[in-house]
Amino acid sequence: MSATTSIVAEAYRALIAHLEAAYPNEGAGLLLGRGDGEDRVVTAVLTLPNRWDGAEQTHRFLLTPEDMLAGEQEAARRGLDVIGIFHSHPDHPAEPSGFDRDWALPWYVYTITRVTQGRADHTRAWRLREDRSGYSEDNFTIHAETRPTPRG
Amino acid sequence: MTTIRIPTPLRQYTNGQAEITVTGADVGTALNDLTGQHPGLRAHLYTDAGELRAFVNVFLNDEDVRHLQGAATPVSDVDRLMIVPSIAGGSDAELVRVDHAALRVNQATIIVLAAVGFVLDTPGLIVFVAAVMTLGTLRRSPGFRLLYTAVLKPLGWVKPDVIADNAEPHVFAQGLGAAFLWGASLALFAGAPVLGWALSWLVIALAALNLFAGFCAGCFVYYWLARFRAPGFLKTPPTGTFPGLRPRG
Repeated sequence: MSATTSIVAEAYRALIAHLEAAYPNEGAGLLLGRGDGEDRVVTAVLTLPNRWDGAEQTHRFLLTPEDMLAGEQEAARRGLDVIGIFHSHPDHPAEPSGFDRDWALPWYVYTITRVTQGRADHTRAWRLREDRSGYSEDNFTIHAETRPTPRG
Repeated sequence: MTTIRIPTPLRQYTNGQAEITVTGADVGTALNDLTGQHPGLRAHLYTDAGELRAFVNVFLNDEDVRHLQGAATPVSDVDRLMIVPSIAGGSDAELVRVDHAALRVNQATIIVLAAVGFVLDTPGLIVFVAAVMTLGTLRRSPGFRLLYTAVLKPLGWVKPDVIADNAEPHVFAQGLGAAFLWGASLALFAGAPVLGWALSWLVIALAALNLFAGFCAGCFVYYWLARFRAPGFLKTPPTGTFPGLRPRG
């Protein structure tokens, strides 16, 4: 039985808009929500600039520690946690690559969105296994329009 | 006793604690003490070869220890260490994909600005174009990319035209164009207008050749240098493509 990651519709729209605008480069950002429990609900996203060396951005992204720190602080300000990372694979399947795994952290949810010719058409959610041997896939669902009440 | 702050995803290995107190005179021994207290952290902080993983950044009071003395950076009791992840990833696509629409907007802008510089006899415009192209080369993207990403693409006036291609030759070609324009600027300000405008027109002509005929002369030079194993020139043309010609999409 795999865990579930769900995202509210408004946040998903913001995620898609960011990744389509970044095409043909990879786009990325943070998934914000509640960090407790096995199943995760993403209630907001934080888009971040891709800091990887310019020419390679069509298949690489980088979020710097400075951006991560700023993201953590913004999440805390909203009473949320950083619970994962989203990024796109332009014209490539929504599956983690070997490179993704080298850089992955446990616990975070990693969503990967395939963007085909500028249109986001497939999103899947993954978590790194404890022993770093590979990924487990989450069930990924999109909530209806109503937003859950924010915490605090 | 120094305090180390643990990032959220690794707190499951510290029984949920956000901050751990460690002993050690420098960053290396402090981290050693941390993984000694919480062995589950080791696999995620270090590679099998014992190196700190690429995404693990250690900050000492808001400063990255890589900019200090690395693992040998001394720490004292009042110091605070923070482990901050950087996040990277990406697809395993082999050939980089290059948006040729962004390249063409860049070429068209160079042509227009340099030609206007000639018509109005304004050497300053040539300096401006040379500077933008140089900045673009350093950032490894088209100098006038912003015009495409922030204006023309969002308006839908120019559609992306993404082709599997090498990015480096295009970066090199722009650098070559910038070098010619710096030469032109020098000539124009040194009182040699004929040489200056001739060099400018050479850049205009080569940009137009690329824009209208799809032949990138700078890329041709790049692949030619690569053939003769010039250091740093590593890429070969995409399969079935004549060096410098635009690959078929």
